[in-house]
Amino acid sequence: MMAMFENLGLGLSVAFTLQNIFFCFIGCLIGTLVGVLPGVGPVATISILLPVTLSLDPTGALIMLAGIYYGAQYGGSTTAILVNIPGEATAVVTAIDGHEMAKKGQAGLALGLAAIGSFIAGTFATIVIAALAMPMTKLGLLFGPAEYFSLMIMGLVLAVVLAHGSLVKALAMIVAGVLLSCVGADMETGRERMTFGLQMLTDGIEFVVLAMGVFGFGEIFKNLADPEKRDVMRGTIGRLLPTLTELRQNLGAILRGTGLGSILGVLPGNGAILAPFASYALEKRISDRPQDFGKGVPQAVSGPESANNAGAQTSFIPLLTLGLPPNAVMALMVGAMMIQGIVPGPQVIQNNPDLFWGLVASMWIGNLMLVIINLPLIGVWVKLLKVPYRLLFPAIVAFCCIGLFSISNDAGQVIMAGILGLLGFALYKLQFEAAPLALGFVLGRLLEEKLRQALIISDGSMTTFLTSPLSAVLLLIGLVALIIAVLPSMRKSRDEIFTD
Amino acid sequence: MTQEVIHVDLPARPPTPPASPPSYPWLGRERLAGISLVVFGLFALWAGSDLPFQGEGGVGSGLLPRALSIMIILLGLMQIAVTWNDRAETTGSWPIRDMLPVLIGVFLFAITIRGYDFGAFSVPVLGMAVATPLSIIFSGIAAKDVRYGELLIFAAILTVVCIALFRYALGLSLAVAPWLIGY
Repeated sequence: MMAMFENLGLGLSVAFTLQNIFFCFIGCLIGTLVGVLPGVGPVATISILLPVTLSLDPTGALIMLAGIYYGAQYGGSTTAILVNIPGEATAVVTAIDGHEMAKKGQAGLALGLAAIGSFIAGTFATIVIAALAMPMTKLGLLFGPAEYFSLMIMGLVLAVVLAHGSLVKALAMIVAGVLLSCVGADMETGRERMTFGLQMLTDGIEFVVLAMGVFGFGEIFKNLADPEKRDVMRGTIGRLLPTLTELRQNLGAILRGTGLGSILGVLPGNGAILAPFASYALEKRISDRPQDFGKGVPQAVSGPESANNAGAQTSFIPLLTLGLPPNAVMALMVGAMMIQGIVPGPQVIQNNPDLFWGLVASMWIGNLMLVIINLPLIGVWVKLLKVPYRLLFPAIVAFCCIGLFSISNDAGQVIMAGILGLLGFALYKLQFEAAPLALGFVLGRLLEEKLRQALIISDGSMTTFLTSPLSAVLLLIGLVALIIAVLPSMRKSRDEIFTD
Repeated sequence: MTQEVIHVDLPARPPTPPASPPSYPWLGRERLAGISLVVFGLFALWAGSDLPFQGEGGVGSGLLPRALSIMIILLGLMQIAVTWNDRAETTGSWPIRDMLPVLIGVFLFAITIRGYDFGAFSVPVLGMAVATPLSIIFSGIAAKDVRYGELLIFAAILTVVCIALFRYALGLSLAVAPWLIGY
């Protein structure tokens, strides 16, 4: 317990340097700035802004990226409430009652409650991360290649089970992601795989290129083909800060959401996506007036928003301690860490304690900053919503191009992202989710590496994954989760949670 | 808080009537998704067919790609099977022509930012001062409600902002306009 506070102290001393506070501030600001643009979700925001962090030192870069992430999240909630366009799956819930509140002239209250709830959730989640960091890292160090492999398989299966939509399609996307990660020189033998002799494929596909192509360009193509129906809100924002009574009425929802989000976010299979849905369902169940949900109930905004933020933050735990990104945003963080020369995993906390604890502490600072900068600036964000799409997307294209090029000064990457954009559009048209693809892609190389290591240790025997008890248990959990998800009764209730 | 009226400018386009379902069930969205998976899997299988299955220390470079390709083919067949009895839903329009200007913009950026040698002719290094506005203007043309004057002014302003941000504020080593100022 003491060690935890010592570590947090170290983190705060790193994060509270003028330089890092500045990076955190800039990150939050530009993250919100881009995230608030309708139709630009956190994944797209982070990929667009990733190049901005390239020239910084690793700690500063990660702190800024984390800030961009919170900013993007909060920006997404803002668009969800004001224009009813959730930038990503987790903001869908916020859009339901949040936008209804906005229509009633309570947009300010919804935004204020979202910000305050997020801050409380962020504070609690930071402590959860600090408390779980050491034990999880120790656990991670116990894992051999076979256990790692099984853990990843379990995580991927959970990601499929928790994703909404078709199981078969989500599974196919994960497999396709792993397959795409095989493209390029074989790590072990250096042999080129599926490169067709193309020079731009020899080093494999960069994750950032994939993300910017599929999420950045793909989103633009999607919007050009099917412009999103925007529920135009005309009216007043209203006051931002809730009264004490309102705060008291929402405190329960905020705390319950925080708890749910913190627990679900730790799951190595993108549990965070479930958090706002679970919170909404819980609030509706315990409410005196469940029939009002969907018509603008403050608790239906503050609870899910807190759950969302807590989950978003605790999903850093599998990434930072085990090196396994649980969702597409964290996969991007892996990409960013790799560019900075840091391989995420249990060794980070030992080799770079400054970076690790600095990042954890900056999460809390980032959350505080969101409240401080975003509430007063809400008028600015509202003005940004007025930027017409015909000017918005060329700007995004230009930013993506510059970003893609500056990653490795290679124009081939720019063209590759353009082609991947068409892939993203095709995926959208065929209703495939791109997030599992990104997740499979980022875990792919690690998966193959661990598979090979495990098989070398076991002398080529596949049974090694079952004879290790830990590995067997992990695989079993994955299998059970998959079976439960396929059962008709479970499928029904799963669909209910998502459509509720 | 000030009385703020929010008005979001929408891409101007009348709501399209719901398209009729495709006449041929294989063209339905879900079946098409399954077929795409099968085709992709077969393609990957072919692309990786030259890779050795067995390596020196166990797993060869070909094992995982091949196993995954087969899994994708199987998942594709499964997708077709499970959705066989569903009503065929259309995938809507595929307005590739609307997206073409964006792709051209991206391509022009790629060949002008650092120059490109096509063999028959080569593009000199034109730098950000040329590449950025090209990408903005060409992709801007893709908008249905494009206003050319506005787009040109916007491109000029944004180019200056981008150069100031990426080259000077962030210190990335991007060529600005070698033909004019030497870097």
